[in-house]
Amino acid sequence: MSMKRDPFSQYHPLVCFLYFVAVILFGAVLRHPAYILAGCVAAGSYYGLLRGRSLWKLLFGLIPLFLLVTLINPLFNPRGAHVLFRLFDRPFTLEALCYGGVTAGSFTLTFLWFGCYNCVLTGDKFTSLFANRIPALSLLLVMVLRMIGEQSRKLKQILHARSGIGKGITQQSKTSEKLRHGVTALSTLADRALEGSVVTADSMRARGYGCAKRSSFYGTSLSLRDGIVLVLILSLAACVPLLGGLSADFDPEVRIAPLGWGFVAYCILLLIPIVLRIKEALLWRRLRSKI
Amino acid sequence: MKKSTLWSLICICLLIPGTLFLGTKLPGRWYYLTGTLIIIEAMLPFFFQFETRRPQARELVCIAVMAALAAVSRGAFAFIPHFKPIVAVVMITGMSFGAEAGFLTGAVSAFASNFFFGQGPFTPWQMMAYGLGGFLAGLLFHKRKRLAQKPVLHRVLLTGFGFLSVLLVVGPVLDLCSVFTMSSQLSWNMTVLCLSSGFFINVTHGISCALTLLLLGRPLMQKLERLQTKYGILEGSDETPV
Repeated sequence: MSMKRDPFSQYHPLVCFLYFVAVILFGAVLRHPAYILAGCVAAGSYYGLLRGRSLWKLLFGLIPLFLLVTLINPLFNPRGAHVLFRLFDRPFTLEALCYGGVTAGSFTLTFLWFGCYNCVLTGDKFTSLFANRIPALSLLLVMVLRMIGEQSRKLKQILHARSGIGKGITQQSKTSEKLRHGVTALSTLADRALEGSVVTADSMRARGYGCAKRSSFYGTSLSLRDGIVLVLILSLAACVPLLGGLSADFDPEVRIAPLGWGFVAYCILLLIPIVLRIKEALLWRRLRSKI
Repeated sequence: MKKSTLWSLICICLLIPGTLFLGTKLPGRWYYLTGTLIIIEAMLPFFFQFETRRPQARELVCIAVMAALAAVSRGAFAFIPHFKPIVAVVMITGMSFGAEAGFLTGAVSAFASNFFFGQGPFTPWQMMAYGLGGFLAGLLFHKRKRLAQKPVLHRVLLTGFGFLSVLLVVGPVLDLCSVFTMSSQLSWNMTVLCLSSGFFINVTHGISCALTLLLLGRPLMQKLERLQTKYGILEGSDETPV
């Protein structure tokens, strides 16, 4: 389980959440090719570190989308000085193609970051983050997350039991019959779940729901280690737009700002989880060689 | 109650126009962010209202059960390709428990099921789309006792509503997300392309929603109604002692 040893995941949920908000925002907004490329490399490497082989699966899925987005945008965006060829009487320009590539890059980047986000910020962490600020909604979310698992297990039991009396969905040949049996199974599940809901609610009340603040599974407060990384993330995220060098224009000609200190700040921001991971690995190696 | 109204007013009158203004002024690809922020800001009043009302345990659990039921409902139809009953279950909740509960069920169910399938840039749009489905169903069908007594008419209306609302509201909101994430410049042509390429998916989605409403709608609504009369859940009056 490589995920469990990821040091960045063990920071306070607030740190992880703000980090992902920052990098996903930059990924969605920036259109400077160098920034997007750096983002893709960093997000891809981090995803690879978290998930191992499934990086390639995700990339294989994203490549056709990347090409589609790149090629489809010039069709609708005729602006630009260099006309490559004309299609249906509309110019297909080099600038629009480049802009399409940048859009596709930021699209890919966002998906890669969300892939990492899904590994790092699991449901329990997310709800613990908001447990005190929005107690009713986060409790609702916790309950739904728990019930999804419970109900899909129950649904399987119901389907299994029904196939025991010849009413399984796979035993039917006609689609209308499949549909009817599916609806019956769902209705049975609703019965069981709603009946349970009243018991759950009474039990919650009996145990004092609403009398005090709710505690959460991740009952940690921000430690010094979290604080340092949090300040680092916030200051780097503020540095990127302040130091400039973000602008990139695709109309009428491709004009890209030269890279400056803003890019360095952005790269440091991108590399935080990977550097933490490498640091941990080196530390482990040193400790082991001492033994 | 007053506090939530104030927050809703702030959201609608200040936040959304402010976001629109900033989004058009700033350079760069801000429109995806602008669109998503507006979607989130439009959902905030519902969440505020739920939060400030301090919901009872029974109400909370009922909404949670229906949201989870919507999220797992696909599993019952796993052998029928492209059959998505999730919006239908959300709509039934809206019809029985009211528009606000319907919105909440849809939004929470989309958000929670994405914890299993993976969150993405589409999450807020999905929450909005499913929430709107539940909200509309609640507006049109909640507390229509006389209509419910005419089974044939009720069924016909449910089926028609399910199909049309998915085709015209839920589907287009989902498609708009791809307009915002995939286009480098917003243009009507691109929007039309995205909406029309989603047309057939929306039709199949609409048919599955309509079929589920036709077959499951009345039985499930009767169950929810029985729950309401027996235990006094979500009846719309605040003084119900739970």
